[in-house]
Amino acid sequence: MSDMQSLASSITAVTSPFRNYLQELHERYQVLNDGALADYIPELTLAKPEWFGICVVTKAGQVFDIGDCDQLFTIQSISKAFVYGLALEDHGRDYVNSKVGVEPTGEAFNAIVLDEKTNRPYNPMVNAGAIATTDLVKGANSTERLKRLLAMFKRYTGRDHDINVPIFLSEKATGFRNRAMAYLMLNFGMVSERVDETLDLYFQQCSIMVTAKDLAMLSATLANGGVNPVTGERALDERYVQDVISVMLTCGMYDGSGEWAYRVGMPAKSGVGGGITAVVPHTLGVGTFSPLLDAKGNSARGIKVCESLSHDFGLHLFNVAPPENDLAECIDGNDANNW
Amino acid sequence: MPKVVSVHSYRGGTGKSNFTANLATTVAAQGHRVAVFDTDVPSPGIHNLFCLEPEQISATLNNYLWDEKPITDAAYDVGANVGLAADQLYLVPSSVRADDIARILKDGYDVKRMNDGFRGLVKALNLDYLFIDTHPGLSKETFLSIAISHVLVLILRPDKQDYQGTAVTVDVARQLKVRNMLLAINKAYGSLNPEALKQKVEATYSVPVAGVFPLSEDVVQLASEGVFCTKFPDHPVSQEFRKVAQQIMEV
Repeated sequence: MSDMQSLASSITAVTSPFRNYLQELHERYQVLNDGALADYIPELTLAKPEWFGICVVTKAGQVFDIGDCDQLFTIQSISKAFVYGLALEDHGRDYVNSKVGVEPTGEAFNAIVLDEKTNRPYNPMVNAGAIATTDLVKGANSTERLKRLLAMFKRYTGRDHDINVPIFLSEKATGFRNRAMAYLMLNFGMVSERVDETLDLYFQQCSIMVTAKDLAMLSATLANGGVNPVTGERALDERYVQDVISVMLTCGMYDGSGEWAYRVGMPAKSGVGGGITAVVPHTLGVGTFSPLLDAKGNSARGIKVCESLSHDFGLHLFNVAPPENDLAECIDGNDANNW
Repeated sequence: MPKVVSVHSYRGGTGKSNFTANLATTVAAQGHRVAVFDTDVPSPGIHNLFCLEPEQISATLNNYLWDEKPITDAAYDVGANVGLAADQLYLVPSSVRADDIARILKDGYDVKRMNDGFRGLVKALNLDYLFIDTHPGLSKETFLSIAISHVLVLILRPDKQDYQGTAVTVDVARQLKVRNMLLAINKAYGSLNPEALKQKVEATYSVPVAGVFPLSEDVVQLASEGVFCTKFPDHPVSQEFRKVAQQIMEV
């Protein structure tokens, strides 16, 4: 992209009817006060219930951000999908498959349950599977592994990320259940013996600070075949993009994944920090942030935004009917009638 | 449907504010609801033409851009100052306070917020026309006003620097997919044949020339203390403004 084109593109993103559309969504759902803040550690209750950001990044690198898109929060479970991609790059599909399944559980994210035949955790999106996945991240020691993980996120988002230390320490201090799962998996030989180091890394990856814009960049990078559409940097080997997106579709929204796949049909991953990242392959990435969570632990406003986007532009993965609105037209349009 | 008209030139001193004020007033006089935005935040001035004194101004566009005031607080009914009825012509001035100008130059502002301000005022005042007076040259704000305009009016003088700069601006406007572009030639000195000049400029840029304005001592004498076409409605310059306004309304 030439400088002129990139400046023109940033201005057309401001004037695009799609931005007005997102603004209307933001206004419509800002007033919703359903749900509750996560409170299993005290730090998460410091979030403001009114925080609400919507960001969409297209494959062409246009950025549409509305509301609190620069507010930092912890990535939490959203990290799981991307660390899964790193594990695939480190070990290849067969080996990773032998350690973690890809089957939705229908159980809560923190269930202590392994596949009876293989002893594998069911999928990389439940905590047990995520810990087994984090175990696969290569590196000589804890520092190197954490550095590799942060470098990976930087390739996706185009910026450096920090760990929220109080949240990391809180997660670590209260993570008995995760610790139990890790040791259960060690018992079955499903994770290596550096369990405590891996658990630290797992709690750290959950405590990475991101914004709604980062979440949109993460999914837009997947949508763009593993290459960040703004920086042009490759974040994930293109062979594994489909692996990551598939588990997001089947397992990404905790035990609400089936209904999500049916109703919204955008592969997505949510986190208890209030984030959702959703992929529309070949098209765009969505990042939403609002810390009020529904009973299944998904951001209530974020769900509404994804539902509306999917419905209004026919973005359901399996939609074949003509959409109500043409996305490309809306994004590239300079809609004079919309004043 | 409201229409957005941006008045711009590559270089300063071409008469942007004067054109904006006269065109906006002419369009409002035809019974349309009109607002003028002074987006020339580094060097605002159009409030003088509408006889709005700094002491009458409490909130400005700056306060809106800094999220201190809603855009409606920064819109002043200036119709009475130019012989129009109330609730017909509004002005959103930029601040002339040195501190405010320094602050906006230092910190910049969110161009999205400017766009939201345009749209917000159009809705709130149920406007038919929004005129945007701009800072000369190319900047993010210029890009924005060009991109959202239904009509872009580019002013140039018969001068090599203006010719070259206008070529750049026309190129940018095309890249931003501007919908309609009109050129206006200002300060054409006496020995130039207006019709020949018009044809030459149209051929150069492939953009229609909506009007050719002579270098006018009468305009200079008014010294920005009022809108020329309301003070001298029968003057040839006012007639030329009406001609340009007509073309804007017909677009």
